[in-house]
Amino acid sequence: MPTSALHVARTGLEAQDTRMRVIANNLANIGTTGFKRDRANFETLAYQDARVAGARSTNETAYAVGLNLGNGVGVQGTSRIETQGTLSTTGNAFDLALDGPGLFQIELPGGQQGYTRAGNFTLSADGQLVTAQGYVVQPAIQVPQGAQSITVAPDGTVSATLPGDAAPAELGQLTIASFPNPAGLQAIGDNYLVETAASGAAEIGPGGDNGRGSIRQGMLEASNVNVVEELVEMIEAQRAYEINSKMISSVDEMLRNANQTL
Amino acid sequence: MDRLIYTALSGMDAAMNRQRAVANNLANASTPGFRAEELSVKPVTIKGDGFEARSLSQGAVRGANMDGGTVTHTGQPMDIALVGNALLALQASDGTEVYSRRGDLRVSATGVLENGDGLPVLGEAGPITVPAGSQLAIGEDGGVFLRDPATPEAPPELVAQIKLANPEGSAIIKDLDGFLRVPGGGALPGDPTARVIAGSLEGSNVDTATTLVQMIEAQRSFEQRTKIISTADDLDQAGARLMSLR
Repeated sequence: MPTSALHVARTGLEAQDTRMRVIANNLANIGTTGFKRDRANFETLAYQDARVAGARSTNETAYAVGLNLGNGVGVQGTSRIETQGTLSTTGNAFDLALDGPGLFQIELPGGQQGYTRAGNFTLSADGQLVTAQGYVVQPAIQVPQGAQSITVAPDGTVSATLPGDAAPAELGQLTIASFPNPAGLQAIGDNYLVETAASGAAEIGPGGDNGRGSIRQGMLEASNVNVVEELVEMIEAQRAYEINSKMISSVDEMLRNANQTL
Repeated sequence: MDRLIYTALSGMDAAMNRQRAVANNLANASTPGFRAEELSVKPVTIKGDGFEARSLSQGAVRGANMDGGTVTHTGQPMDIALVGNALLALQASDGTEVYSRRGDLRVSATGVLENGDGLPVLGEAGPITVPAGSQLAIGEDGGVFLRDPATPEAPPELVAQIKLANPEGSAIIKDLDGFLRVPGGGALPGDPTARVIAGSLEGSNVDTATTLVQMIEAQRSFEQRTKIISTADDLDQAGARLMSLR
């Protein structure tokens, strides 16, 4: 019990340290296509009841107030902030950006479904639309050899002019996935997210339909990290860390004093 | 030895408890909607025949400081900051109504509107549920508006009203999970005039400068009490010397 103030302050240091890590990750990913910033959420830890309000103080009377001491703070989790990133024109036919909510579907190795906002796609050696890692964008689009002027419509329809054919031919349609709780998706790195019990099941449909974002060809979505906001948060976390470390040295001073004086 | 050391010990204990409450406030300096705790220590005089000489300290968390925290704009449509002293009504895990100032709302996978602590937000008729995946907006009076993604041009539909409680004139205490409650059970009345600011979040109301002063104060009062113990020790030794037979 006498050292518990030390441990309470320690929870503060740990929480701010985690927050700093989240901020550092946001800043590190400022140039990552389709990256969504995270926010660390804090919660108070359970209180410890040294004396319950309402407990008997004498035979006739009860304590009107209790002595509830807090145990500090904990990091509850991080939530992804899903605001739209800035769209920038690249002119590359296979750069696709989503304007509005939704995610592209990717088949990860092993057949698992992955989801991403990073639309910097490319063609594989055998003409399939793939991500930078070479994972196939779903539904798979096969671009025949020598296809010219490939266009992706806002609803995901991919068409191209094939050699010896004046009219453009439809190659397939990309669909967009949306989730009941997109913040519940789990980030697995490489810009990919996977479904969890918290996110709910994916609802698949064409772009621009039922509130889904529409596809913008020749554009990429930048990260939604705001440098100024992150820097302000960083300073705030640093100061909060400092005052918690001051608390540790203050309690240490008390205990040292008790040890030396007594 | 004189019982003085026990009086000093109770003071040291109280100072350490006070330091712990201060540490908890500092640790929660960035928890959204956190309300700083106030610890007060009162002397307990031992009554009896003769001189009332013994005075022990007894600390009690007197409840929470209900001053407002800094409101920051987050741009998240589901973040709300409560104006004035209104409280957000939540359903605790035991089914009772508790209150909080924490307004980072979200919709769980099952469609229940929750705040950042993970407790369901109460409306006029219990917890608020919305169709999963719906786009919500929160009005100034706590109305929850649902926009149907299939018909984006249609006006948003009011689906529920968040209960904003008025703590005016009622006693509220913090429970063991850090939520505000009416002592002895009961619910606060809803306040139809209460207002929220959507897209903003209220921070903790911990004033770090004041809290650091409290920290130094607690530290010094602890040191003074250890001094009393060493003085009592000196007195005791002096007494023993006088009494010893040469």
